[in-house]
Amino acid sequence: MRVERWNVGMMERLMATSIVLLSIIPSFQLSAQHFSVGPQIAFGDYREVSSDLHYRGSGIAGSATLQWKQFSADVVLSKLKYKPSNDGTATKEFDASQVDVRLRYYITGPVSAELGFMNRKADPEFEAQSVGAVTAGAQMAYLLGPGVRMALSGGLLFGSKYSGGGSTSALGALQLGLGLTVDALRGRVRVTGDYGFQRFSRKTNDGSGDFPAPIQQSLGRIGFALVF
Amino acid sequence: MRVRLLLVLALGLAPALCAAQTVQNATLRKAQQAFDNLEFRPALSGAQAALRERLTGFERARAYELLGFTYSGMDSILRAVDAFKQVILLEPERDFDPTRTSPKALSAFQVALTQVLVIRQLHVDSVTFVGGQGVVAVRYTVTQPARVVTRVLGGGPQTSLRIDSTVASGQVNIRWPARLASGDPVPAGDYNIVVEATVGQNNFSTSQPIRVTHGAVDTLPHLTSLPGYTYLPETEVPPKSWKPMGLALVYTGIALAGTSAFSSGDLGKTSLREGSLIGGGVILAGFVMTLRKPAPQPARGNILYNQLLREQISRRNTEIAQENTRRRQQVALSVVPVARQGGGR
Repeated sequence: MRVERWNVGMMERLMATSIVLLSIIPSFQLSAQHFSVGPQIAFGDYREVSSDLHYRGSGIAGSATLQWKQFSADVVLSKLKYKPSNDGTATKEFDASQVDVRLRYYITGPVSAELGFMNRKADPEFEAQSVGAVTAGAQMAYLLGPGVRMALSGGLLFGSKYSGGGSTSALGALQLGLGLTVDALRGRVRVTGDYGFQRFSRKTNDGSGDFPAPIQQSLGRIGFALVF
Repeated sequence: MRVRLLLVLALGLAPALCAAQTVQNATLRKAQQAFDNLEFRPALSGAQAALRERLTGFERARAYELLGFTYSGMDSILRAVDAFKQVILLEPERDFDPTRTSPKALSAFQVALTQVLVIRQLHVDSVTFVGGQGVVAVRYTVTQPARVVTRVLGGGPQTSLRIDSTVASGQVNIRWPARLASGDPVPAGDYNIVVEATVGQNNFSTSQPIRVTHGAVDTLPHLTSLPGYTYLPETEVPPKSWKPMGLALVYTGIALAGTSAFSSGDLGKTSLREGSLIGGGVILAGFVMTLRKPAPQPARGNILYNQLLREQISRRNTEIAQENTRRRQQVALSVVPVARQGGGR
Protein backbone atom coordinates (compact mmCIF):
# COMPACT_ATOMS: atom_id res chain seq x y z
CA MET A 1 0.00 0.00 0.00
CA ARG A 2 2.82 2.34 0.86
CA VAL A 3 4.54 1.45 -2.39
CA GLU A 4 1.39 2.21 -4.39
CA ARG A 5 0.99 5.57 -2.67
CA TRP A 6 4.62 6.35 -3.45
CA ASN A 7 4.10 5.39 -7.08
CA VAL A 8 1.04 7.63 -7.48
CA GLY A 9 2.79 10.51 -5.78
CA MET A 10 5.81 10.01 -7.97
CA MET A 11 3.67 10.11 -11.08
CA GLU A 12 1.92 13.29 -10.07
CA ARG A 13 5.19 14.92 -9.09
CA LEU A 14 6.71 13.77 -12.38
CA MET A 15 3.85 15.28 -14.35
CA ALA A 16 3.95 18.55 -12.44
CA THR A 17 7.73 18.82 -12.68
CA SER A 18 7.67 17.99 -16.38
CA ILE A 19 5.03 20.59 -17.13
CA VAL A 20 6.88 23.23 -15.14
CA LEU A 21 10.18 22.35 -16.80
CA LEU A 22 8.64 22.29 -20.25
CA SER A 23 7.07 25.66 -19.58
CA ILE A 24 10.41 27.14 -18.53
CA ILE A 25 12.47 25.73 -21.39
CA PRO A 26 10.94 28.01 -24.05
CA SER A 27 12.30 31.07 -22.26
CA PHE A 28 15.69 29.99 -23.58
CA GLN A 29 16.66 30.70 -27.13
CA LEU A 30 14.86 28.30 -29.43
CA SER A 31 15.31 30.09 -32.68
CA ALA A 32 16.15 27.03 -34.76
CA GLN A 33 13.30 24.93 -33.47
CA HIS A 34 9.66 25.01 -32.56
CA PHE A 35 8.40 24.09 -29.17
CA SER A 36 4.88 23.85 -27.87
CA VAL A 37 3.51 22.86 -24.54
CA GLY A 38 0.04 22.92 -23.07
CA PRO A 39 -2.68 21.24 -21.05
CA GLN A 40 -5.42 18.99 -22.33
CA ILE A 41 -8.63 17.43 -21.16
CA ALA A 42 -8.55 13.69 -21.54
CA PHE A 43 -11.41 11.23 -21.78
CA GLY A 44 -11.23 7.54 -22.44
CA ASP A 45 -12.72 4.12 -22.64
CA TYR A 46 -10.91 1.18 -21.06
CA ARG A 47 -11.72 -2.51 -21.39
CA GLU A 48 -9.89 -5.51 -20.08
CA VAL A 49 -10.25 -9.29 -20.34
CA SER A 50 -13.97 -9.29 -21.18
CA SER A 51 -16.85 -6.94 -21.83
CA ASP A 52 -17.64 -7.02 -18.13
CA LEU A 53 -14.57 -4.99 -17.21
CA HIS A 54 -15.56 -1.82 -18.99
CA TYR A 55 -14.54 1.59 -17.68
CA ARG A 56 -15.04 5.13 -18.84
CA GLY A 57 -13.19 8.05 -17.45
CA SER A 58 -11.81 11.51 -17.83
CA GLY A 59 -8.90 13.49 -16.54
CA ILE A 60 -6.16 15.85 -17.44
CA ALA A 61 -3.17 15.62 -19.69
CA GLY A 62 -0.23 17.68 -20.73
CA SER A 63 1.63 17.48 -23.96
CA ALA A 64 4.87 18.96 -25.20
CA THR A 65 6.22 18.89 -28.73
CA LEU A 66 9.66 19.83 -29.90
CA GLN A 67 10.56 20.15 -33.58
CA TRP A 68 14.09 20.46 -34.82
CA LYS A 69 14.94 20.10 -38.47
CA GLN A 70 13.60 16.69 -39.53
CA PHE A 71 13.18 15.48 -35.99
CA SER A 72 10.33 15.99 -33.61
CA ALA A 73 9.50 14.61 -30.23
CA ASP A 74 6.20 14.35 -28.39
CA VAL A 75 5.83 13.79 -24.68
CA VAL A 76 2.29 13.25 -23.40
CA LEU A 77 1.44 12.77 -19.76
CA SER A 78 -2.14 11.94 -18.89
CA LYS A 79 -3.98 10.99 -15.77
CA LEU A 80 -7.52 9.65 -15.96
CA LYS A 81 -9.92 8.41 -13.39
CA TYR A 82 -11.70 5.40 -14.87
CA LYS A 83 -15.07 4.54 -13.42
CA PRO A 84 -16.94 1.29 -14.05
CA SER A 85 -19.37 1.53 -16.92
CA ASN A 86 -23.02 0.72 -16.39
CA ASP A 87 -22.89 -2.13 -18.88
CA GLY A 88 -20.14 -3.96 -16.97
CA THR A 89 -19.72 -5.75 -13.72
CA ALA A 90 -16.69 -3.86 -12.43
CA THR A 91 -17.29 -2.14 -9.13
CA LYS A 92 -14.16 -0.16 -8.35
CA GLU A 93 -12.74 2.83 -10.10
CA PHE A 94 -9.03 3.30 -10.67
CA ASP A 95 -6.59 5.95 -11.82
CA ALA A 96 -4.56 5.45 -14.96
CA SER A 97 -1.42 7.49 -15.31
CA GLN A 98 0.10 7.25 -18.73
CA VAL A 99 3.31 8.48 -20.26
CA ASP A 100 3.79 8.47 -24.02
CA VAL A 101 7.10 9.43 -25.53
CA ARG A 102 7.51 9.47 -29.29
CA LEU A 103 10.49 10.43 -31.39
CA ARG A 104 9.66 11.17 -34.99
CA TYR A 105 11.84 11.47 -38.06
CA TYR A 106 10.49 12.99 -41.26
CA ILE A 107 11.12 10.67 -44.19
CA THR A 108 9.37 11.99 -47.27
CA GLY A 109 6.10 13.51 -48.41
CA PRO A 110 3.65 13.18 -45.55
CA VAL A 111 5.40 10.19 -43.98
CA SER A 112 7.42 10.20 -40.77
CA ALA A 113 8.78 7.28 -38.79
CA GLU A 114 8.03 7.03 -35.09
CA LEU A 115 9.82 5.30 -32.25
CA GLY A 116 9.07 5.60 -28.56
CA PHE A 117 7.63 4.00 -25.51
CA MET A 118 4.49 4.09 -23.43
CA ASN A 119 3.83 3.31 -19.82
CA ARG A 120 0.51 3.19 -18.08
CA LYS A 121 0.14 2.60 -14.38
CA ALA A 122 -3.09 1.66 -12.72
CA ASP A 123 -3.87 2.67 -9.17
CA PRO A 124 -5.01 0.62 -7.24
CA GLU A 125 -2.62 -1.75 -8.86
CA PHE A 126 -4.92 -4.76 -8.87
CA GLU A 127 -7.93 -3.02 -10.41
CA ALA A 128 -6.35 -2.88 -13.86
CA GLN A 129 -3.18 -3.89 -15.62
CA SER A 130 -0.21 -1.59 -15.64
CA VAL A 131 1.53 -1.90 -18.96
CA GLY A 132 4.65 -0.70 -20.66
CA ALA A 133 5.87 -1.19 -24.22
CA VAL A 134 8.15 0.11 -26.90
CA THR A 135 6.28 1.69 -29.80
CA ALA A 136 7.33 1.76 -33.44
CA GLY A 137 5.29 2.97 -36.34
CA ALA A 138 4.67 5.69 -38.86
CA GLN A 139 2.78 8.91 -39.12
CA MET A 140 1.15 10.55 -42.11
CA ALA A 141 0.59 14.26 -41.70
CA TYR A 142 -1.27 16.58 -44.03
CA LEU A 143 -1.67 20.33 -44.05
CA LEU A 144 -5.39 20.89 -44.48
CA GLY A 145 -4.97 24.62 -44.79
CA PRO A 146 -3.07 27.54 -43.33
CA GLY A 147 -2.19 26.50 -39.78
CA VAL A 148 -4.40 23.42 -39.78
CA ARG A 149 -2.72 20.01 -39.73
CA MET A 150 -4.03 16.54 -39.28
CA ALA A 151 -2.04 13.41 -38.70
CA LEU A 152 -2.81 9.72 -38.81
CA SER A 153 -0.44 7.39 -37.06
CA GLY A 154 -0.20 3.68 -36.53
CA GLY A 155 2.26 1.25 -35.13
CA LEU A 156 3.05 -1.78 -33.13
CA LEU A 157 3.79 -2.09 -29.43
CA PHE A 158 6.72 -4.35 -28.81
CA GLY A 159 7.95 -6.00 -25.63
CA SER A 160 4.78 -5.40 -23.69
CA LYS A 161 5.10 -5.95 -19.95
CA TYR A 162 2.09 -6.28 -17.69
CA SER A 163 1.90 -5.92 -13.93
CA GLY A 164 -0.30 -9.01 -13.77
CA GLY A 165 1.87 -11.08 -16.05
CA GLY A 166 1.03 -12.42 -19.43
CA SER A 167 2.50 -11.97 -22.86
CA THR A 168 1.69 -10.69 -26.29
CA SER A 169 2.92 -11.89 -29.65
CA ALA A 170 5.06 -9.65 -31.82
CA LEU A 171 2.07 -8.40 -33.79
CA GLY A 172 -0.41 -8.69 -30.96
CA ALA A 173 -0.26 -5.14 -29.69
CA LEU A 174 -0.95 -2.15 -31.83
CA GLN A 175 -2.02 1.43 -31.68
CA LEU A 176 -3.78 3.90 -33.95
CA GLY A 177 -3.86 7.66 -33.66
CA LEU A 178 -5.59 10.63 -35.21
CA GLY A 179 -4.55 14.18 -34.44
CA LEU A 180 -5.58 17.68 -35.35
CA THR A 181 -3.80 20.95 -34.59
CA VAL A 182 -5.14 24.38 -35.43
CA ASP A 183 -2.91 27.42 -35.09
CA ALA A 184 -4.51 30.44 -33.48
CA LEU A 185 -3.41 33.90 -32.43
CA ARG A 186 -0.88 34.14 -35.24
CA GLY A 187 0.55 30.76 -34.44
CA ARG A 188 1.32 31.51 -30.81
CA VAL A 189 -1.38 29.16 -29.60
CA ARG A 190 -2.21 25.78 -31.03
CA VAL A 191 -5.55 24.09 -30.42
CA THR A 192 -5.01 20.37 -30.26
CA GLY A 193 -7.19 17.30 -30.51
CA ASP A 194 -5.79 13.78 -30.35
CA TYR A 195 -7.25 10.36 -30.45
CA GLY A 196 -5.35 7.22 -29.54
CA PHE A 197 -6.45 3.61 -29.65
CA GLN A 198 -4.41 0.82 -28.06
CA ARG A 199 -5.07 -2.85 -28.12
CA PHE A 200 -2.98 -5.51 -26.44
CA SER A 201 -3.85 -9.12 -27.34
CA ARG A 202 -2.56 -10.28 -24.00
CA LYS A 203 -2.59 -13.93 -23.10
CA THR A 204 -2.10 -15.44 -19.69
CA ASN A 205 -1.24 -18.94 -18.78
CA ASP A 206 -1.97 -20.34 -15.34
CA GLY A 207 -0.72 -23.77 -16.32
CA SER A 208 -3.88 -24.85 -18.10
CA GLY A 209 -3.00 -23.22 -21.37
CA ASP A 210 -3.16 -19.76 -22.91
CA PHE A 211 -6.08 -17.69 -21.83
CA PRO A 212 -6.92 -14.50 -23.75
CA ALA A 213 -6.95 -11.43 -21.54
CA PRO A 214 -6.97 -8.49 -23.99
CA ILE A 215 -6.59 -4.89 -22.96
CA GLN A 216 -8.02 -2.05 -24.98
CA GLN A 217 -8.11 1.68 -24.48
CA SER A 218 -9.52 4.54 -26.53
CA LEU A 219 -8.22 7.89 -25.38
CA GLY A 220 -9.24 11.30 -26.59
CA ARG A 221 -7.51 14.54 -25.65
CA ILE A 222 -8.57 18.10 -26.39
CA GLY A 223 -6.59 21.12 -25.33
CA PHE A 224 -4.30 23.88 -26.39
CA ALA A 225 -0.61 24.51 -26.44
CA LEU A 226 1.55 27.59 -26.35
CA VAL A 227 3.97 27.73 -29.22
CA PHE A 228 7.45 29.16 -28.74
CA MET B 1 29.87 95.28 -60.91
CA ARG B 2 32.26 93.06 -62.82
CA VAL B 3 29.52 92.11 -65.27
CA ARG B 4 28.76 95.79 -65.91
CA LEU B 5 32.43 96.52 -66.53
CA LEU B 6 32.69 93.66 -69.00
CA LEU B 7 29.54 94.89 -70.76
CA VAL B 8 30.93 98.42 -71.11
CA LEU B 9 34.25 97.08 -72.41
CA ALA B 10 32.48 94.81 -74.87
CA LEU B 11 30.32 97.66 -76.17
CA GLY B 12 33.37 99.90 -76.45
CA LEU B 13 35.49 97.37 -78.29
CA ALA B 14 32.77 96.11 -80.61
CA PRO B 15 33.21 98.77 -83.34
CA ALA B 16 36.97 98.27 -83.31
CA LEU B 17 36.56 94.51 -83.68
CA CYS B 18 34.08 94.95 -86.50
CA ALA B 19 36.41 97.42 -88.20
CA ALA B 20 39.22 94.88 -88.08
CA GLN B 21 37.16 92.52 -90.26
CA THR B 22 35.85 95.14 -92.70
CA VAL B 23 37.59 97.08 -95.39
CA GLN B 24 38.35 100.59 -94.16
CA ASN B 25 40.74 101.62 -96.90
CA ALA B 26 38.96 104.02 -99.27
CA THR B 27 40.98 103.10 -102.33
CA LEU B 28 40.26 99.45 -101.84
CA ARG B 29 36.58 100.10 -101.28
CA LYS B 30 36.47 102.12 -104.47
CA ALA B 31 38.21 99.32 -106.34
CA GLN B 32 35.75 96.81 -104.90
CA GLN B 33 32.86 98.99 -106.04
CA ALA B 34 34.34 99.18 -109.55
CA PHE B 35 34.67 95.40 -109.63
CA ASP B 36 31.07 95.04 -108.53
CA ASN B 37 30.13 97.27 -111.49
CA LEU B 38 32.21 95.01 -113.76
CA GLU B 39 34.62 97.83 -114.40
CA PHE B 40 37.76 95.68 -114.36
CA ARG B 41 40.34 98.34 -115.35
CA PRO B 42 39.45 100.76 -112.52
CA ALA B 43 39.15 97.84 -110.19
CA LEU B 44 42.59 96.57 -111.18
CA SER B 45 44.29 99.93 -110.83
CA GLY B 46 42.43 100.62 -107.60
CA ALA B 47 43.51 97.33 -106.07
CA GLN B 48 47.11 97.82 -107.09
CA ALA B 49 47.04 101.34 -105.68
CA ALA B 50 45.58 100.08 -102.45
CA LEU B 51 48.37 97.52 -102.12
CA ARG B 52 50.87 100.37 -102.19
CA GLU B 53 49.09 101.93 -99.24
CA ARG B 54 49.19 100.92 -95.58
CA LEU B 55 46.69 98.05 -95.17
CA THR B 56 45.72 95.63 -92.51
CA GLY B 57 46.31 91.94 -93.13
CA PHE B 58 42.65 91.47 -93.82
CA GLU B 59 42.57 94.38 -96.27
CA ARG B 60 45.71 93.15 -97.97
CA ALA B 61 44.14 89.74 -98.44
CA ARG B 62 40.99 91.38 -99.83
CA ALA B 63 43.10 93.49 -102.18
CA TYR B 64 44.89 90.42 -103.59
CA GLU B 65 41.60 88.59 -103.77
CA LEU B 66 40.13 91.47 -105.76
CA LEU B 67 43.15 91.32 -108.04
CA GLY B 68 42.70 87.60 -108.50
CA PHE B 69 39.04 87.94 -109.38
CA THR B 70 39.73 90.88 -111.67
CA TYR B 71 42.53 89.03 -113.52
CA SER B 72 40.25 86.02 -113.80
CA GLY B 73 37.57 88.23 -115.30
CA MET B 74 40.13 89.63 -117.70
CA ASP B 75 41.30 86.07 -118.58
CA SER B 76 44.79 86.73 -117.16
CA ILE B 77 44.93 83.38 -115.43
CA LEU B 78 48.63 83.38 -114.52
CA ARG B 79 48.34 86.73 -112.84
CA ALA B 80 45.16 85.62 -111.18
CA VAL B 81 47.00 82.58 -109.85
CA ASP B 82 49.79 84.82 -108.54
CA ALA B 83 47.25 87.03 -106.80
CA PHE B 84 45.45 84.07 -105.27
CA LYS B 85 48.80 82.66 -104.06
CA GLN B 86 49.22 85.83 -102.03
CA VAL B 87 45.70 85.40 -100.68
CA ILE B 88 46.50 81.86 -99.63
CA LEU B 89 49.75 82.88 -97.97
CA LEU B 90 47.91 85.60 -96.07
CA GLU B 91 44.88 83.50 -95.23
CA PRO B 92 45.65 79.81 -95.63
CA GLU B 93 42.13 78.84 -94.60
CA ARG B 94 40.54 81.02 -97.25
CA ASP B 95 38.05 79.19 -99.44
CA PHE B 96 35.45 80.19 -101.97
CA ASP B 97 31.91 79.04 -102.33
CA PRO B 98 31.86 77.10 -105.63
CA THR B 99 28.23 78.03 -106.20
CA ARG B 100 28.90 81.75 -105.97
CA THR B 101 32.34 81.99 -107.58
CA SER B 102 33.10 82.08 -111.26
CA PRO B 103 34.67 78.88 -112.54
CA LYS B 104 37.65 80.78 -113.90
CA ALA B 105 38.43 82.34 -110.56
CA LEU B 106 37.82 79.04 -108.82
CA SER B 107 40.18 77.16 -111.10
CA ALA B 108 42.83 79.87 -110.71
CA PHE B 109 42.45 79.58 -106.95
CA GLN B 110 42.79 75.80 -107.13
CA VAL B 111 45.96 76.14 -109.23
CA ALA B 112 47.31 78.64 -106.74
CA LEU B 113 46.67 76.17 -103.94
CA THR B 114 48.86 73.58 -105.63
CA GLN B 115 51.70 76.08 -106.03
CA VAL B 116 51.86 77.23 -102.44
CA LEU B 117 52.88 75.09 -99.51
CA VAL B 118 50.30 75.60 -96.80
CA ILE B 119 48.50 73.46 -94.31
CA ARG B 120 44.82 74.11 -94.25
CA GLN B 121 41.79 72.97 -92.35
CA LEU B 122 43.63 71.67 -89.34
CA HIS B 123 40.90 70.19 -87.19
CA VAL B 124 40.97 68.43 -83.86
CA ASP B 125 37.78 66.68 -82.86
CA SER B 126 36.36 67.12 -79.39
CA VAL B 127 36.49 63.77 -77.74
CA THR B 128 36.26 62.15 -74.34
CA PHE B 129 37.63 58.71 -73.70
CA VAL B 130 39.26 56.56 -71.09
CA GLY B 131 43.01 57.02 -71.14
CA GLY B 132 44.63 54.37 -73.27
CA GLN B 133 41.36 53.26 -74.82
CA GLY B 134 40.68 55.98 -77.36
CA VAL B 135 42.27 58.38 -79.79
CA VAL B 136 42.07 62.02 -80.73
CA ALA B 137 41.30 62.49 -84.41
CA VAL B 138 43.47 65.15 -86.07
CA ARG B 139 43.12 66.01 -89.76
CA TYR B 140 44.53 68.63 -92.06
CA THR B 141 45.14 69.26 -95.70
CA VAL B 142 48.59 69.91 -97.09
CA THR B 143 48.56 71.60 -100.50
CA GLN B 144 51.81 70.21 -101.84
CA PRO B 145 53.64 66.93 -101.36
CA ALA B 146 55.80 67.62 -98.32
CA ARG B 147 57.34 66.11 -95.24
CA VAL B 148 54.81 66.87 -92.57
CA VAL B 149 55.63 66.53 -88.90
CA THR B 150 52.90 66.77 -86.29
CA ARG B 151 53.84 67.60 -82.72
CA VAL B 152 52.08 68.28 -79.49
CA LEU B 153 53.63 71.07 -77.46
CA GLY B 154 52.83 72.46 -74.05
CA GLY B 155 51.14 70.99 -71.03
CA GLY B 156 54.41 71.09 -69.16
CA PRO B 157 57.85 72.63 -69.31
CA GLN B 158 59.36 70.06 -71.64
CA THR B 159 56.42 68.32 -73.20
CA SER B 160 57.00 67.93 -76.90
CA LEU B 161 55.57 64.83 -78.42
CA ARG B 162 56.03 63.94 -82.04
CA ILE B 163 52.84 62.18 -82.92
CA ASP B 164 53.30 61.78 -86.66
CA SER B 165 55.81 62.28 -89.41
CA THR B 166 54.91 61.54 -92.96
CA VAL B 167 55.29 62.63 -96.57
CA ALA B 168 51.84 63.54 -97.67
CA SER B 169 49.71 65.61 -99.99
CA GLY B 170 46.04 66.34 -99.66
CA GLN B 171 44.03 65.39 -96.66
CA VAL B 172 45.83 63.63 -93.81
CA ASN B 173 44.14 61.89 -90.91
CA ILE B 174 46.03 61.19 -87.70
CA ARG B 175 44.88 59.26 -84.64
CA TRP B 176 46.63 60.43 -81.50
CA PRO B 177 46.20 58.20 -78.44
CA ALA B 178 47.03 61.14 -76.11
CA ARG B 179 49.66 59.13 -74.27
CA LEU B 180 53.17 59.92 -73.18
CA ALA B 181 56.13 57.82 -74.21
CA SER B 182 55.73 55.91 -70.94
CA GLY B 183 52.19 54.98 -71.92
CA ASP B 184 50.58 57.20 -69.30
CA PRO B 185 47.85 59.58 -70.38
CA VAL B 186 49.08 63.11 -71.10
CA PRO B 187 48.73 65.41 -68.09
CA ALA B 188 45.85 67.84 -68.02
CA GLY B 189 46.63 71.25 -69.47
CA ASP B 190 46.69 73.42 -72.57
CA TYR B 191 48.56 72.06 -75.59
CA ASN B 192 49.23 73.07 -79.14
CA ILE B 193 49.05 70.62 -81.97
CA VAL B 194 51.64 71.97 -84.38
CA VAL B 195 51.84 70.72 -87.95
CA GLU B 196 54.98 71.59 -89.89
CA ALA B 197 55.32 70.95 -93.59
CA THR B 198 58.68 71.21 -95.35
CA VAL B 199 59.61 71.00 -99.02
CA GLY B 200 63.20 72.01 -99.73
CA GLN B 201 63.62 75.51 -98.42
CA ASN B 202 59.90 76.08 -98.12
CA ASN B 203 58.18 75.34 -94.93
CA PHE B 204 54.87 76.10 -93.35
CA SER B 205 53.49 75.45 -89.96
CA THR B 206 50.16 75.87 -88.31
CA SER B 207 48.81 74.97 -84.94
CA GLN B 208 45.61 74.25 -83.14
CA PRO B 209 45.39 74.82 -79.41
CA ILE B 210 43.65 72.15 -77.44
CA ARG B 211 42.77 71.76 -73.81
CA VAL B 212 43.14 68.40 -72.11
CA THR B 213 41.24 67.82 -68.90
CA HIS B 214 41.20 64.82 -66.63
CA GLY B 215 38.12 63.37 -65.04
CA ALA B 216 37.03 60.31 -63.19
CA VAL B 217 35.85 57.42 -65.28
CA ASP B 218 32.19 56.72 -64.73
CA THR B 219 31.65 53.65 -62.65
CA LEU B 220 28.87 51.23 -63.35
CA PRO B 221 25.90 51.03 -60.99
CA HIS B 222 25.26 47.71 -59.31
CA LEU B 223 22.35 45.75 -60.61
CA THR B 224 19.26 45.02 -58.59
CA SER B 225 17.53 43.34 -61.48
CA LEU B 226 18.26 42.18 -64.97
CA PRO B 227 16.46 44.11 -67.69
CA GLY B 228 13.61 42.04 -69.03
CA TYR B 229 13.71 39.59 -66.16
CA THR B 230 11.59 39.96 -63.05
CA TYR B 231 11.36 37.83 -59.96
CA LEU B 232 8.47 35.40 -59.90
CA PRO B 233 6.34 34.77 -56.81
CA GLU B 234 7.86 31.92 -54.83
CA THR B 235 4.52 30.75 -53.59
CA GLU B 236 1.35 30.20 -55.51
CA VAL B 237 -2.18 29.62 -54.35
CA PRO B 238 -3.42 26.31 -55.71
CA PRO B 239 -6.94 26.15 -57.07
CA LYS B 240 -9.66 25.46 -54.54
CA SER B 241 -10.35 21.76 -54.21
CA TRP B 242 -12.15 19.24 -52.07
CA LYS B 243 -8.90 17.53 -51.22
CA PRO B 244 -8.79 18.73 -47.58
CA MET B 245 -12.30 17.49 -46.98
CA GLY B 246 -11.61 14.23 -48.79
CA LEU B 247 -8.40 13.59 -46.91
CA ALA B 248 -10.03 14.46 -43.59
CA LEU B 249 -12.71 11.88 -44.34
CA VAL B 250 -10.12 9.32 -45.38
CA TYR B 251 -7.93 9.87 -42.32
CA THR B 252 -10.90 9.79 -39.96
CA GLY B 253 -12.33 6.76 -41.73
CA ILE B 254 -9.06 4.89 -41.43
CA ALA B 255 -8.79 5.72 -37.73
CA LEU B 256 -12.36 4.67 -36.93
CA ALA B 257 -12.35 1.66 -39.21
CA GLY B 258 -9.01 0.61 -37.75
CA THR B 259 -10.41 0.97 -34.26
CA SER B 260 -13.34 -1.24 -35.15
CA ALA B 261 -11.25 -3.73 -37.00
CA PHE B 262 -8.57 -4.10 -34.40
CA SER B 263 -10.90 -4.17 -31.42
CA SER B 264 -11.05 -7.47 -29.65
CA GLY B 265 -14.33 -9.28 -30.02
CA ASP B 266 -14.09 -10.51 -26.46
CA LEU B 267 -14.35 -6.96 -25.14
CA GLY B 268 -17.80 -6.20 -26.47
CA LYS B 269 -18.94 -3.42 -28.72
CA THR B 270 -16.18 -1.04 -29.67
CA SER B 271 -16.31 2.45 -28.22
CA LEU B 272 -16.04 5.00 -31.00
CA ARG B 273 -16.93 7.96 -28.78
CA GLU B 274 -13.39 9.29 -28.50
CA GLY B 275 -12.48 8.62 -32.12
CA SER B 276 -15.74 10.11 -33.39
CA LEU B 277 -15.24 13.30 -31.40
CA ILE B 278 -11.73 13.91 -32.64
CA GLY B 279 -12.59 12.61 -36.13
CA GLY B 280 -15.56 14.98 -36.24
CA GLY B 281 -13.20 17.82 -35.48
CA VAL B 282 -10.89 16.71 -38.26
CA ILE B 283 -13.75 16.48 -40.76
CA LEU B 284 -15.05 19.89 -39.70
CA ALA B 285 -11.58 21.35 -40.12
CA GLY B 286 -11.31 19.70 -43.55
CA PHE B 287 -14.69 21.13 -44.57
CA VAL B 288 -13.76 24.62 -43.42
CA MET B 289 -10.42 24.42 -45.16
CA THR B 290 -12.14 23.29 -48.34
CA LEU B 291 -14.29 26.42 -48.28
CA ARG B 292 -11.38 28.67 -47.42
CA LYS B 293 -8.80 29.99 -49.81
CA PRO B 294 -6.04 27.37 -50.01
CA ALA B 295 -2.73 28.10 -48.39
CA PRO B 296 0.00 29.33 -50.73
CA GLN B 297 2.28 26.51 -51.74
CA PRO B 298 5.96 26.90 -52.65
CA ALA B 299 6.34 27.15 -56.43
CA ARG B 300 9.47 25.08 -57.01
CA GLY B 301 9.95 26.22 -60.58
CA ASN B 302 9.69 29.86 -59.62
CA ILE B 303 12.02 29.35 -56.66
CA LEU B 304 14.64 27.81 -58.93
CA TYR B 305 14.14 30.56 -61.49
CA ASN B 306 14.56 33.26 -58.82
CA GLN B 307 17.62 31.48 -57.50
CA LEU B 308 19.14 31.46 -60.99
CA LEU B 309 18.26 35.12 -61.41
CA ARG B 310 19.81 36.03 -58.07
CA GLU B 311 22.96 34.09 -58.95
CA GLN B 312 23.14 35.80 -62.33
CA ILE B 313 22.73 39.26 -60.77
CA SER B 314 25.27 38.41 -58.10
CA ARG B 315 27.75 37.21 -60.73
CA ARG B 316 27.15 40.33 -62.82
CA ASN B 317 27.59 42.56 -59.76
CA THR B 318 30.88 40.83 -58.97
CA GLU B 319 32.02 41.60 -62.51
CA ILE B 320 30.80 45.19 -62.14
CA ALA B 321 32.68 45.55 -58.86
CA GLN B 322 35.87 44.32 -60.54
CA GLU B 323 35.26 46.62 -63.50
CA ASN B 324 34.64 49.58 -61.15
CA THR B 325 37.85 48.82 -59.26
CA ARG B 326 39.67 48.96 -62.58
CA ARG B 327 37.86 52.11 -63.67
CA ARG B 328 38.71 53.93 -60.45
CA GLN B 329 42.38 53.52 -61.41
CA GLN B 330 41.74 55.01 -64.85
CA VAL B 331 41.37 58.60 -66.00
CA ALA B 332 38.88 60.03 -68.44
CA LEU B 333 40.56 62.35 -70.93
CA SER B 334 38.59 65.19 -72.49
CA VAL B 335 40.23 66.89 -75.45
CA VAL B 336 38.62 70.11 -76.64
CA PRO B 337 39.99 72.37 -79.39
CA VAL B 338 40.41 75.99 -78.33
CA ALA B 339 39.81 78.96 -80.64
CA ARG B 340 42.90 79.75 -82.69
CA GLN B 341 44.73 83.09 -82.63
CA GLY B 342 45.71 83.91 -86.24
CA GLY B 343 46.73 81.58 -89.06
CA GLY B 344 49.87 79.69 -89.98
CA ARG B 345 53.10 80.97 -91.36
